[in-house]
Formats: sequence, structure tokens, C-alpha cells
Amino acid sequence: MSALKLVFNMLIFPGGLFAIMLGMLLMGVDRKLYARIQRRVGPPLYQPFIDLVKLLQKEILVPQTANYTVFRAAPLIGFIGMLAAAVMIPISGVYPGLDSSANLLVLLYLLATPALALMIGASASGSPYSAIGYSREMSITIAYEAPLLVVLMTVAMKVGMANGGFADFSLGHIISYQQQNGSMIFDITMLPALLAFLCCIPATIGTVPFDIPEAETELAEGPLLEYSGSGLAMYNLTGGLKMVIISALAVALFFPGTLGSFWLINLLWFVFKCLLVITLTITVVRATRARMRMDQALKFYLTVPVALALVSLVLTLLGVRI
Amino acid sequence: MGDLIKNIVKKSPWIYRINAGSCNGCDVEMATTALIPRYDVERLGCKYCGSPKHADIVLISGPITAVVKEKVLRVYDEIPDPKVVVAVGICPISGGVFRDSYAIEMPLDGYIPVDVNVPGCPPRPQAIIDGVAKAIEIWKTKL
Amino acid sequence: MGTFLKIALKNLLKGPSTDKYPFGETFVPEKLRGKIKHDPEKCIACHMCEHVCAGGAIRLREAKDGSGADFVVWHNSCAFCGLCEHYCPTGAIHLTNDYHTAHLEKDKFSYVERTFVKYKPCSVCGQPFIPLIPQLEEVVYGEHGDKKGLSTMCEKCRRKAVWKDGVFK
Repeated sequence: MSALKLVFNMLIFPGGLFAIMLGMLLMGVDRKLYARIQRRVGPPLYQPFIDLVKLLQKEILVPQTANYTVFRAAPLIGFIGMLAAAVMIPISGVYPGLDSSANLLVLLYLLATPALALMIGASASGSPYSAIGYSREMSITIAYEAPLLVVLMTVAMKVGMANGGFADFSLGHIISYQQQNGSMIFDITMLPALLAFLCCIPATIGTVPFDIPEAETELAEGPLLEYSGSGLAMYNLTGGLKMVIISALAVALFFPGTLGSFWLINLLWFVFKCLLVITLTITVVRATRARMRMDQALKFYLTVPVALALVSLVLTLLGVRI
Repeated sequence: MGDLIKNIVKKSPWIYRINAGSCNGCDVEMATTALIPRYDVERLGCKYCGSPKHADIVLISGPITAVVKEKVLRVYDEIPDPKVVVAVGICPISGGVFRDSYAIEMPLDGYIPVDVNVPGCPPRPQAIIDGVAKAIEIWKTKL
Repeated sequence: MGTFLKIALKNLLKGPSTDKYPFGETFVPEKLRGKIKHDPEKCIACHMCEHVCAGGAIRLREAKDGSGADFVVWHNSCAFCGLCEHYCPTGAIHLTNDYHTAHLEKDKFSYVERTFVKYKPCSVCGQPFIPLIPQLEEVVYGEHGDKKGLSTMCEKCRRKAVWKDGVFK
């Protein structure tokens, strides 16, 4: 029975169908809000669904200098990684998540799979624009993984030290700690860590000011240049899923509060919190900032969010309680 | 069922621009149809994409000069089917003011099959939106 | 950073400023240079518009039976520059403010404006010729007016009439 439950979790809720719907909804809201900030009307909210259906009707063109098998198979790596990650994230009050002692570390590795898929796909394309695109993607991945790691260490240590150990990487324990002692967002020593995590989100998704690999005007769409038809649809879908995973992770790590015990209300509250995270970190930043250069982005990521996360880490290690 | 899918799909055409030796007048008008808030083309679901492999409707401006002819034909081959070609401005339709020049051999429909013409020098942004709407109707029949 | 956030919030509150076209009406200025319109009653077939046309879109050819002239302007080669309207001596050709010019490829060569300038027969010998329109008579004959009815005669008869007694007697 548990195998069937696992398949249900992976394909319908909360992975698969639910995650795809939520991802497309988040992308639609992002585009509509971005247009409204610029005083335009903007596309309807269900536009990403239409884009997906349209992309499946186009023919697939493979360039001559490309490695055919790797080119066709690369988009699937990110998609399957994100589906697996969606099974693990708990939604408090609705779904407990796959509990094990090293949940968070596995999630960290799975979060890197879409970037990996982009890199493999781009290098299999055999075109110079894609080559520049994927080398830039590698650099920016190194940049934003550093503060992400420090933030996850901080949260794990906070929960672990409260329970008498050193660091506890299990998401189930993190959520039960917050249900007992209040969410981490109300704890002043953890606020710098929250800020550092929110700073990493634009680079993870790949929007302005850190969308250097996919710079449209400079590189003619960078790594995705040679993809058309179902490959491109798979990449867009992976982008939407990554939005869901990263905002669900932010919600689970820092503010997983519930509103009562009815599952539908908790689900809607979770969707609302995801929308809030995406609106504040992606849409507003995208509408008011310009794109940074590669060296400026690296300098920013390796100083500001790392410093903020280290402040939280030191305060947690010293056991300071405010 | 096919009709339902066609009605859904026609709401998301992606546009790609090719400048085949133009003076940039029509290019400026094409950029304003998408980017400025006043003539928003994203309401119809369109999006300017950076790669020819993502495109459905291609807008070509400029007379096809001898230097740029090979490159336009190569980029045109990279666009996946089904696609619609729109000739913007009088230059690709008939040569325009450069008609008897030494650098122009044939208008655009001597090289590739054109579907919609939008004359004007440059055409008004509302006329370009008209042309794109007609192109979307033709694209629906080709799906 | 603060100013941009304030602008973003103000924009969200003001609402969209998009023109309603193609779902509604749009603003058309009165003097917009749009498609050509030709009035054959006022045309004297001087070929001035054909000479100055930037795109080479205008063509005036005499009909084979000599009863008039065919006037064709091909909209697909017209640059809407307005030179023909500026140089026309009688104001027969002018630009409307019609900007709806998108059409399908199969109508490409039939997207024209075609009129026929009719010649009138001479009052003396009956040969058809290009008439002089009343607006230009004042320019040619001044305040004396056309006393001998020269504007209704063809060139040969006119020459004979003037050779006999001059223009105004």
C-alpha cells in the first residue's frame, strides 16, 4: 500500500500534477503582476498553460553538430529531479513529507539538478552561443550555492542544538520544532538567514538581476538556443517546478504555521504563502532592477548573503537567545 | 478535439524579427508594438523571443539586399513548422524606395512564401497589430 | 531603490494605460498621412506626381483609344511621403487618414487605386484632349477671363485662334 501511496504522492499530490499546476499558476501571476507594474494589461493568468500546449505542437529540429541522444534526453534530468524533490517537502497540516534523517541534504542536491540539466543540454547543442551560456550558468551556480549551504546549516544547527545533538537535517524535525517553539521568522537571530535565503532565489530561478546565462539581448537566449518543441516545453516546466520547490522550502524552513486543522484551509494558506514569497523576491525585483554583470553578481553573492548567513550561524552556535 | 486544441494554441504565438537590410524605421515600430505600455501586444499572448527556434510568426523588414540574402534564408530555415511570414513595410513587398537599386534582385516573395503584407513607410503600430492578428488566423489554419 | 518601489506602487494603483485597439477604438489624428485618393475630375494629367513620387508608385498612361488616361497608384510601393499632394497644381491627389493597410499576399497586386481621367472633345474640331479645369483658368488668363473660350479648344485649334487675333480679343 505504501508503494501505491508513494506513486500517488509522486505523480498527483504533491508532486506531478499539483506541482505543475501550482508552478504554472506562480509563473502566470508573476507575468501578470510584472505587466501591471509597468502599466500594461498583460497576458491572462493561465497563459503558461497555453504556452505549454503550443510548444508541444511544434516540430523538433536537432542541429548537425549536436550529440543526438544527450540533446534529446537532457531536459528530462531536471524534470525528474524536481518531481522527486516535490515528494520530500512537507506541507504543514496537509502532508508530512518523506521523513528521514538527512532530508535537507538530499534536497540540496536535488535542487542543483535543473541547473545541471541546462548545462548538459547546452553543451550537447554544439553551438557557440550555448557554450558561452553554459559556462556562465556554471559560474552563477557556484555563486549562489554558497549562501544557500550556510543558511541550511544554520537552520539545521538551531534545531539540532535545541534537541541535544549537533545538527539535525530532517525536515520533519525542523517543522515539529517550529510548531513547538514558534516559527523561525519570529526569532530575531534567524532573520539575517531568512534575508540571505531570499537573496538567493532570483539566481536560482534565473530572472533579472541575475539572469546572466539566459541574457536575451546578449546571447540570443543562451543555453536554450537550439531547443524547440517538447524539449523547450520541458525546460519551461522545470522552471515552473523550481519556483514551487524553492518557495515551498522557504515556507517550510522559516514560517510553516497552520491555520486550524482542516486540510483545505492549510493548503490554501500554503499556496498564499508561496505566492507572497514569489511576488516579493521575483516580481518586484524584476520590475525595478537591471541585469548585473558576471563579476558584479559573483562579488555580491560571495559577500552580502554569506555575511548575513554567517551572522545567524555564529549567533546560533553561541546559543544566544533573544 | 482538434478544433479545441487549435483554439487554445492560437492564443500564444511567439514573434521573431528579422532585419534584412532595413533602415531600422520599421524595426523601431515593431519594437514599440511590444514593449511600450500603450500598444501592448502581450494581451494577445505574443512574446518576443530571442531565438529563431522558438518562433511561430516571423516579421521581416527591409529589402533583401545581396549581402544579407544568404543569411536571411538560413535563419528562415531554422524556424520550426508551422510558421507564418509577415512582410512589414513596403521594402520587402516591392523594393519600396530602393526598387531600382543595384543591390536588390527580387522582392521577398521571390525567395520564401509570404503570407501577410503590411505596407507603409513605416506602418503605424496599430496597422502592425492588424497584420499580426491576420497572421494568427492564418497560423490557426496551418496547425 | 526606494524611488523605484514608490513608482511601482503608484503604477499598480493607477491601472493600465493601454490603448484599446484591436478591441476598441483608437486615436486617429486628422492630418495623418494615409492611403492615396485621386479625384479624376480635377486631374489635368500633368504627370507631376509621377515625376516626384519617392517610391515610384504612380503611373499615368494614355488609353489606347485616346479617350482618356489611366491613373494607377500601387499602395504597396507608396511611402506616404506626401510629395505628390504638395506638388499637384490642382489638388486632385490627396492623402486620407486611413491607416488600415494590412492585407493578404494573394491581394498583393490588386491593392491599387485606379481612376480614369476623361478627355473632353474640342469645341471646334472634335478631337479629345485634356481639359483645363476652372480653378486654373484664373492662373492662366488673369482677371480678364477666358474671353474667346480658348480653354474648350484643343492645342491645334487654340494655336490657330490665337494666331489670328491674340489671346484676349
